Amino acid sequence: MPLSLLAASSSKLPLRVAQTSVRCYAAPRKEGGLDAAKEIIRRSLYPPNVRNKPTPTGTWRPDVARALQKAIPSKQAHETIERAWKLHLRHIRHQRDADLMRKYECMKKAMDELEKIDPHLYKEANRVEDPRVRTQAEVELAKMLRGPERKALDARSPGLFPRELRVPADTPPRDGWNYSWKPSNRPSVEKLAS
Amino acid sequence: MSSRSLWASCSRRAPFPSSRRAFASEAPRPKKAPRAALQTAVILNRSPIITRTPSLFERAYYNYQARIQRALHNPFPYEFYFKPGSPLEAKFSIEERRRDRKAFGAGFGADSEDARSTLTAEDLKKFGQEEEENTVSRLHASDLSGDVKSLDRNGQRNLYLLVQQKKDGKDAWVFPDGDVNAGELLHEAAERRLLGQCGDAMDTWIVSRNPIGLHKIHPPTPPTDPSVPPKTCVFFFKAHIMAGQVHPDGKSVADFAWLTKQEIEERVAADYWHSVKDMLSDF
Repeated sequence: MPLSLLAASSSKLPLRVAQTSVRCYAAPRKEGGLDAAKEIIRRSLYPPNVRNKPTPTGTWRPDVARALQKAIPSKQAHETIERAWKLHLRHIRHQRDADLMRKYECMKKAMDELEKIDPHLYKEANRVEDPRVRTQAEVELAKMLRGPERKALDARSPGLFPRELRVPADTPPRDGWNYSWKPSNRPSVEKLAS
Repeated sequence: MSSRSLWASCSRRAPFPSSRRAFASEAPRPKKAPRAALQTAVILNRSPIITRTPSLFERAYYNYQARIQRALHNPFPYEFYFKPGSPLEAKFSIEERRRDRKAFGAGFGADSEDARSTLTAEDLKKFGQEEEENTVSRLHASDLSGDVKSLDRNGQRNLYLLVQQKKDGKDAWVFPDGDVNAGELLHEAAERRLLGQCGDAMDTWIVSRNPIGLHKIHPPTPPTDPSVPPKTCVFFFKAHIMAGQVHPDGKSVADFAWLTKQEIEERVAADYWHSVKDMLSDF
C-alpha cells in the first residue's frame, strides 16, 4: 500500500532477504569489462535482489515520500475520490446499458412483426452466414481472377466487419473525410455468370 | 346437414390438401390480402472519428492518477535509453524536470536537490523552449459554419443520413426508404434503394440481414378494397458509411443532411420520431 510510506512504520516486506545465489546471466560482471552496453541491459533486466529498501524492486525515486505527500491530500480524500470515480463509471455503464436495451427491444418488436407478416422473409432475415463458406461459383470465379480483383472478391465477406471501419483517434485525419471515393469494379458472381 | 356438407367440412380439416376434392359447386375462395405492404429504409451512420472530450471530473481524475504514478514509479533508467552526456538525454532531462515541477509544484524539478546537475547552460538554451505542436484541430470548419452536408462535422458524435422525399405530395425528412420488389430479400432491397437514391459514390456496409426497427404507416381512412393491405410497414436496416458522399438523384430525393440524434428530432414528424428514436445512438 503506497500510503504506508507516509507513516514512519516498518514495512511488511523483509528488508534483507537471505543472500540467495544468482544465476550466471544475472550476476554483475567486474568493472572495466568487455561490453558496457551489455552490462546496462543486464542491470535493467535483473535488478539486484538485496532488499535494503522498502520497495519490492529496490528502486523508488529518491524523494518519493515528499512527492507522494504532494500528490495525495489525505487518506480520506483519496478514498472519496476513488469512490466518486467508481460511481461515475457506474452512471456511464447504466446509460450505455439502457441505450442498448432500447435498441434491442426495437429490434425484437420489428422481428416479431416480420414473423407475422411474412414467414419466408423472417426465416431469411434470421439466417446466419458463415464468412468462411465459399460457394462453388465463387471458387470458380476465384480461379479466373488475379491480383487486386481477387482481393476485392474476399473483401466484404458477409458476417465480417469491413477493414475500413476505423477506431476513433484523438485528432481527426489530416486530409479529413474522403469525399471523392469511387467504387472499384468488384467482380461479382452474378455478373460473370450472365 | 346433408352428406355433402359433412364431406366438405371433413375435407377442409384434412391435413393433406391433395386429398381434397374440388366440388364444382363450391364458391371460389377470396384472395387473402397481404398483411402489410413492405418497405425498407436504411439508417446510414457515420461513426465517431475522434474520441469524446473528457469531462472536467474525468480530466481531474486522470491528472490525479498521473501524479500518483509519477510519485511512485521506478526512477527512469537514463543509462538504458540514452547515451550518457548525449544531447537527447539533455533534452529529455529538461522536459522531465518541467513535468515534475508541473505535477508537484515548488521544491521539485529544477529546484530539487536530486536534479541532474549534468545539464549545461548551453543545453538549457537549446532545448529550453517548449516545442510547438502541429496537430490537427479537433474542431472542424463545418462545426462553426453548421454545414449539415459535411461529414467532418461533430467528429465525436454519430451522424445519420436524412433525406427529403415527397410523401403524399408533401416534402418530408425521412431516412432513405423505398418499396421491396417481389421475391427480394429485405436487406438486399434496402441496399439497392440506398444506392439508387443517394448514388453509389459511397463506401457503405449494411451490418446485418436483421431489421433493427419498424415504423407502421396507417392510411387516414381504412381501405375498402380487401386486396389492398391495411397498413405499410417500413423495416429499418443499420449501415455504416466509411468514405464518399451522397449525390442525390433529384427525382425521389430532393435534399440530404447528416444530423445528430437531437437534430433529427427537430426535423422529423412526431409519429415517425416515436418509431425511430430508440434505434439511434444517444451520443
